[in-house]
Amino acid sequence: MTDNAFIQITDLTRKFKENTALNEITLDIQEGELFGLVGPDGAGKTTLLRTLAGLIGITGGTVLVAGTDLVKNPEGVKSQIGYMAQEFSLYGKLSVLENLQFFGELYNVSSSIQKERIPGLLAFADLTAFQDRRAANLSGGMKKKLALACTLLHRPPLLLLDEPTTGVDPVSRREFWNILNNLHIQGTTIIVSTPYMDEADRCSRVALIYEGRIVECDSPPAIRAKMGAEVLKVITDDWRKARAVILGLPGVQDVQSYGEAIHVLVDSVDSRSPIIKKALLDNRLDIFEMREIKPRMEEAFISFIRKMDQEN
Amino acid sequence: MIRRILSLVNKEFLHLKNDWWLPAFMLFGGALELLMIGWATSRPITNLPLMIWDMDKTPASRNLVISIENTGTFELMEPATSLEFIRDQMDRGNINAAVIIPNGFAGELNNPAGKPILQVILNGAESIPAREAQRAIEGVVWDLGQKITIQKLGVSAEQFAGFNFSLRVWFNEALNEAYFTTPAELALMLEFTILLFAALTFSREREFGTLEQLLVMPFTSLEIIIGKSIPVILVGLFDFSLMLGVVHFAFHVPIRGSILLMFSLAFMYTLVELGKGMAISVFSRSQHQSFLLVLLVGMIDFMFTGYAAPVESMPQIIQTLAYLIPAHHWLAILRGIILKGATIRELLPNVLWLLVLGSIIGYFSLRYIRKALD
Amino acid sequence: MSFRHLWAVIRKEIQHILRDRGSLILVLITPTVVLLLMTYALAVDIKHVPIAVLDYDQSPVSRQFIQKITAGDDLDLYTSAGSMTEIENLLLRGKIKAAIILDPGFSADLFSLQGLALQVVIDGTEPETGGFAVDHIGWRAETFANQILSTQLQASGLAVDTLQPIDLRIRAWYNPSLVPQVDLVPGLLSVVLGFPAFSVALTLAREHEHRTMEQLLATPIKRIELLLGKIIPYILAGLMNVLIIPLFAMAWFDVPFNGSFLVFLFLSVIFLFAELSMGMVIGVFMRSQSAALALSFLVVMFPGFFLTGIFFPIASLPELARMESLFLPGTQYAIITRGVFLTGIGLDVLWPYAVMLLFLGLVFTGTAALFFKKKLA
Repeated sequence: MTDNAFIQITDLTRKFKENTALNEITLDIQEGELFGLVGPDGAGKTTLLRTLAGLIGITGGTVLVAGTDLVKNPEGVKSQIGYMAQEFSLYGKLSVLENLQFFGELYNVSSSIQKERIPGLLAFADLTAFQDRRAANLSGGMKKKLALACTLLHRPPLLLLDEPTTGVDPVSRREFWNILNNLHIQGTTIIVSTPYMDEADRCSRVALIYEGRIVECDSPPAIRAKMGAEVLKVITDDWRKARAVILGLPGVQDVQSYGEAIHVLVDSVDSRSPIIKKALLDNRLDIFEMREIKPRMEEAFISFIRKMDQEN
Repeated sequence: MIRRILSLVNKEFLHLKNDWWLPAFMLFGGALELLMIGWATSRPITNLPLMIWDMDKTPASRNLVISIENTGTFELMEPATSLEFIRDQMDRGNINAAVIIPNGFAGELNNPAGKPILQVILNGAESIPAREAQRAIEGVVWDLGQKITIQKLGVSAEQFAGFNFSLRVWFNEALNEAYFTTPAELALMLEFTILLFAALTFSREREFGTLEQLLVMPFTSLEIIIGKSIPVILVGLFDFSLMLGVVHFAFHVPIRGSILLMFSLAFMYTLVELGKGMAISVFSRSQHQSFLLVLLVGMIDFMFTGYAAPVESMPQIIQTLAYLIPAHHWLAILRGIILKGATIRELLPNVLWLLVLGSIIGYFSLRYIRKALD
Repeated sequence: MSFRHLWAVIRKEIQHILRDRGSLILVLITPTVVLLLMTYALAVDIKHVPIAVLDYDQSPVSRQFIQKITAGDDLDLYTSAGSMTEIENLLLRGKIKAAIILDPGFSADLFSLQGLALQVVIDGTEPETGGFAVDHIGWRAETFANQILSTQLQASGLAVDTLQPIDLRIRAWYNPSLVPQVDLVPGLLSVVLGFPAFSVALTLAREHEHRTMEQLLATPIKRIELLLGKIIPYILAGLMNVLIIPLFAMAWFDVPFNGSFLVFLFLSVIFLFAELSMGMVIGVFMRSQSAALALSFLVVMFPGFFLTGIFFPIASLPELARMESLFLPGTQYAIITRGVFLTGIGLDVLWPYAVMLLFLGLVFTGTAALFFKKKLA
């Protein structure tokens, strides 16, 4: 734990009536990182981001953002942060331009600077033609882009984005990440939460969150390596049976299903695949495909979670 | 179909549980309001600040002052010594009335040929207390005048039984204000509660954006309407029972008629207002609008219920229109059953009107709502 | 406090108000319509009270009496009843509000100075009407008796030409004919001019319900900027009402205006500040619009009417209620409106009420700012 990390989170705990959303989270985020928060629904990503944005009170632990203690002074950092909520949270009755101007005012961006920056923002968000349209009448993707634009107007050093690409078409998704990469290069610290594992791969570091705890926190290659396994992709005519067959075999750490295919996590593909192949054929299963694939975040994450569940 | 309706009702209750302030207000607000307002206003007008300028200062004038005090209507302020002072106090609204007893009042009173004069100034800026003050003072002066006349005529008090007649009060022997005001307040609260609650049903969903979802589900519009009506009806009946309890136990208003009849008619009335409320709900685009429409509609009804002014005192047109207002009949029914112990025979015209109006309103509301939902 | 933030919020609120046509129209017409309706509903001028008469005397004098009693438009003869049962039935059905029963010896007793041999029965469920009937029957009976007996009395040598020797001279200031509308309208103005409070109560809850609160709270905006920014547009709307509605009411109901319009305007601003911040407190505590509306109804609407001395004099309220009414801005404002419209008093008399209103406004705004947390949870 470095003492001059941009964001220092120590033992952050937050309980609600029904559950404990954050359970002693300890995390350090360096300036200029493109940091990913990955986890299933309800894992605590939104709660964590909201806490960093000062929207949720801190009842346990400490959080320091750029030197400001959020327990004592949650308002102190808001002008340095661009926060994008998970649900569309802008004003439907106001136009694209009016929304931008409103938030510009609230972030103390002077009118002259607004005039300078807004056309650029509209252009990169592809909203120039729609600037007078009421926000409620935009498509899902456009709404997200508008929300992102609103976070960028005041050029904050820290961006907190809660699932910015959920519900957005693949093309827009890619464009979005291009924008984020550019911002990253320019030195903005970005914390992005996403349920998409492939997006996690694009981050400099990723924290896997599950049931309010940090399961793992490292760069994507390191996480994949930590998995300590190689992956064999197997497609048969009956994946359930195949899974059942393979699960008990030696060296098999986990079997995950992905549609018709199953991904088998083994300590060594070379040594285990013959045994697996034999087991499948012995059980009269047809093998359509069986090859090694590179481990992905998805597999890593699921295996980490399963390990955690087993420990509990 | 019943099962689907029940699932809708279940969903409604879940929503209400999340926003539990709303059902809390709906269930208990009316009764609490009734308690507070009834307690404050179901009493005769008393303690009106009164200023007396006694220029006579004789036993007779002092007796007059005592008689005025004994009416219980007034609270005597410091005695006045000039008209300017009275004018100033009245300008400030500190007094409701002033009585000026001129010099020589007693003399004139005792003189057979005398003409005693008394001046009263009323604060017309508050006409209701002013009228009450006038009544009270006139009563005192009337009594005094009678006594004088009896003396002058030389007849005995028994012979001249006075020009008083015997008065019998029916249904409310003690002329307890609460008998009059609390049933009317009950009717008012009940109507506003049902109307508001019903008016919010669909406009809430519309504003949350969940109305679309509801409409694509496999419910018929009739099922949706019934499903949404049930919580309103339950709240209405609960509220009514609670308020009835308040009226009876807190304000000691007896319930002389059949409770069963009252509840059946209350149920019918609830349906009528429910229909109105739901129509408003479907018509308005937001909860804000629903609220304002309820306010308007409620006020119109209020006007016709004869809360303050009996309907007979209003212009003929309004009297005729009053027949078209369900609340008007409902209040007559309520008062009839509670205070007069009326049975369905006496209330028949009101009940029939309620039935007819209810059916018409209900039919058109239902058609309108169904059309809007489809 | 940043005026740039304040102005941004004010502008946004105004944009929203103007873009919600339906609500805008309703908000504009509701105060006027309610004022009209309530004035007509409450301006008690009891007339045409239906009564029945049961005449057991059946003499020319009794018939004359009946005629005199029902001569004016205050008491209407519904029917001449034939029996007590009939009267009971009529009272039960609400067809009559009072009944006069003339004893068989009515005319005889009258001429022998024995008094009035009659009974009056009133429907106690309407004490106002019943009381009115009693008063008027009494007054008319007295007049009748005077007329009948005056000749007789003079013949017997008494110098009493009337049974009512005291000359009672009654004057009413500010509203000489005691027309109910005249003082009711200024009172009701204090109710309807406060209506924007409902809209204020909604505006915070609406941000919660429409989910815009999240982004708003994430900005560096201060609480006081948000609250003031939300209340100011409605104060302005309220002022527009203040300019228009009293003029309309004065013309329609013939209500005089004896004070200074500038003073009225000035005091109205302070009232609006107090009343609307009361709405704001409700808005801070309620997260849903429905709950905010229901609470406003219970706290602003009904007490605002019943406990502010418009209809029921404050002097007659029990001690606790009187104290409650002190904290309602409507109470102070009703005194102000009556003062300005009817009595013609100025700031020199009204300043304590202005101070009270200012105090209430500050307390409410302070409470709202204190309890409004810039947090979602």
